[in-house]
Amino acid sequence: MSRSSYLKPDTIALHSGYVPESDHGSRAVPIYQTTSYVFESVSTGSSLFNVEQGGHIYSRITNPTVAVLEQRIAALEGGTGAICTASGMSALFSTFITLCSSGDHIISATQIYGSTATLLRHTISRLGIDCSFVPINDEAALGDAIQPNTKLIFCESIGNPGLEVADIPQIAQIASDAGIPLVVDATFATPSLCCAIDHGANIVVHSITKWIGGHGLAVGGAIVDGGSFDWQASGRFPELTEPYAPFHGIKFWEEFGPSALAMKIRAESMRDIGAALSPHSAFLILQGIETLGMRMKKHVENTKDLIEWLQSREDVTWVNHPDIDSNPSHTIAQKLFPKGAGSVLCFGVVGGRAGGAAFIDSVQLASNLANVGDSRTLVLHPGTTTHSRLSPEDMLNAGVSEDMIRVSVGIEDIVDIKADFAHGLRAAKLVAVDQ
Amino acid sequence: MELLVKGNKTYAATGGKEFDNKLATVLFIHGSGLDHRSWALQTRWFAYNGFSVLAPDLPGHSLSEGEPLESIEEMGLWLAQFLTAASVDSAHVVGHSQGFLCALELARQAPEKVKTLTGIGTAGAIPVNPALIEAALESAGKAAEMLLQWGFGNRSHLGMSAVPGMQPIAIGRAIMSKNPLATDLQACANYTTGETVASSLDIPSHLIIAGQDRLTPLKAGKRLAQKLKAEITVIEDYGHMLPIEAPRRCLHRLRETIAAFN
Repeated sequence: MSRSSYLKPDTIALHSGYVPESDHGSRAVPIYQTTSYVFESVSTGSSLFNVEQGGHIYSRITNPTVAVLEQRIAALEGGTGAICTASGMSALFSTFITLCSSGDHIISATQIYGSTATLLRHTISRLGIDCSFVPINDEAALGDAIQPNTKLIFCESIGNPGLEVADIPQIAQIASDAGIPLVVDATFATPSLCCAIDHGANIVVHSITKWIGGHGLAVGGAIVDGGSFDWQASGRFPELTEPYAPFHGIKFWEEFGPSALAMKIRAESMRDIGAALSPHSAFLILQGIETLGMRMKKHVENTKDLIEWLQSREDVTWVNHPDIDSNPSHTIAQKLFPKGAGSVLCFGVVGGRAGGAAFIDSVQLASNLANVGDSRTLVLHPGTTTHSRLSPEDMLNAGVSEDMIRVSVGIEDIVDIKADFAHGLRAAKLVAVDQ
Repeated sequence: MELLVKGNKTYAATGGKEFDNKLATVLFIHGSGLDHRSWALQTRWFAYNGFSVLAPDLPGHSLSEGEPLESIEEMGLWLAQFLTAASVDSAHVVGHSQGFLCALELARQAPEKVKTLTGIGTAGAIPVNPALIEAALESAGKAAEMLLQWGFGNRSHLGMSAVPGMQPIAIGRAIMSKNPLATDLQACANYTTGETVASSLDIPSHLIIAGQDRLTPLKAGKRLAQKLKAEITVIEDYGHMLPIEAPRRCLHRLRETIAAFN
């Protein structure tokens, strides 16, 4: 049971947010491919604009198809509400820009997705928002990094691609003691494997392009308001507790309480930044979310099998996954991810960087591309792609080595995945022999 | 806005507009463990359409200070004192569930302060299973879970929301978990004179009750309406949490009733 629904997760994934009731009784969620919505009267239009009633005005702000996806994701995560965005990155940007202004400060885990690191290190800093990067499970370092102007702590539940599992309960406690919200990017976890809000996170962000969508069809993001943060008691968020001039002086916390953040993001960020998810993309992602539970079981099962197989091979120099004893966050993973800590693993091959390149060029079933969470197996060399904009030092801090191959294990038959990898490993071995 | 009632700082939502006691006032009273946010989708309309609105958090609830009141009778008296503190001579009074029991007590103790009575998702008595009160004493969160499971109708359980993207059950749970739910439930359980009070009143009344209400069943709501000689509106397909589950339909009926007697 989540905090939002009494249905079980697999039922929520299929039903939440939609009851067939249109003129046609469509069983599938219809695609509301429209920019705008007719007002019944002048008075209705006025009351919608003044938040006197819920409803749809313009698809940049809300759309019925997108709303089904939002309500479904909120229910799966146990949140008070969700906002879907055009991408995971826009979900992050909207979250940061809603909570921070010029002069504010963010604390982020060191081991995070390369583009998120760039957003925090370069783009956000141009707006006068500083970011400190800390080893997120280092309790003392995290405590020391908190400043009077710190507005949030950010981490990924499973770091990409270093695969460090964040100790969410410990980080949440430190954040809560300081009156700061904890924002968790739970893309690699999905609510099927770990609900971060249950462990103390206040806001959960997703790239729903990945496992939630699951089929590599559409790009999207989501922000889930956990409804658990007391913006008033914190005293750090006048944006949510003081009158908001562009909206008749509304005070989001007083008016909406546990859904204040979601309402603020809707009213401000979707209006001003406009990174809206298209209804068609929402529809495609809804097809994916309906089978999330089943797919995640298979993803995790294949990952465990592939880990064992890779570990048994002499042409593989190392394997990393939070379910492996040698992963520094293995104990935390066992606690937070009892079903398995996701389906991304990393490994190194003989022949170093050249061997890695040979592996990637030789596999045929697995696709070499910059994505994770597809039903199909994907491989990538982060050092030359997603993390290539980082300095060597930052790359190491992010948990990326030059020989690293990142695998997003798909749900094909594991026999075929192993056969494909065996082919790639033979190519790597040939390179190593030549060196 | 904030008012001092019996020395305690009391919060009341005013629908996003400054309170003006020269306008006709609508007083909204929340149910057990809840707060002014139950009325988010009714109060703003009234505030922006010629009325003044007061939706207080009862003492010890959400943004109001003070000890929670232990009986419905005390809550009725407190509401009269609250209206006096706000310099309101009389108001249209709207109550949800326990909030309407409080409204009945306000009307009994200070009938001059009540222009009309509207009850939503309510009955003359709200018996509470002792196990639920015990659970609430142990943990408001645990009791909130039980209460909300019964409180919301099927559509909400299927994740439907009047506000796109939101999850009303989670919002209710977050509010109830932090409020003195056990005290409220005990007060409801102890209050057995609602129908007698209703029979004694001569105030224009209206009950809006739900077809799927499992906490204050339709039958009990209809019996109260009879005692009050109240007009009845039945909203089928929704549960006990009508102001949240069917906000537009509640607002529509409230507008009609209040306009008729204003």
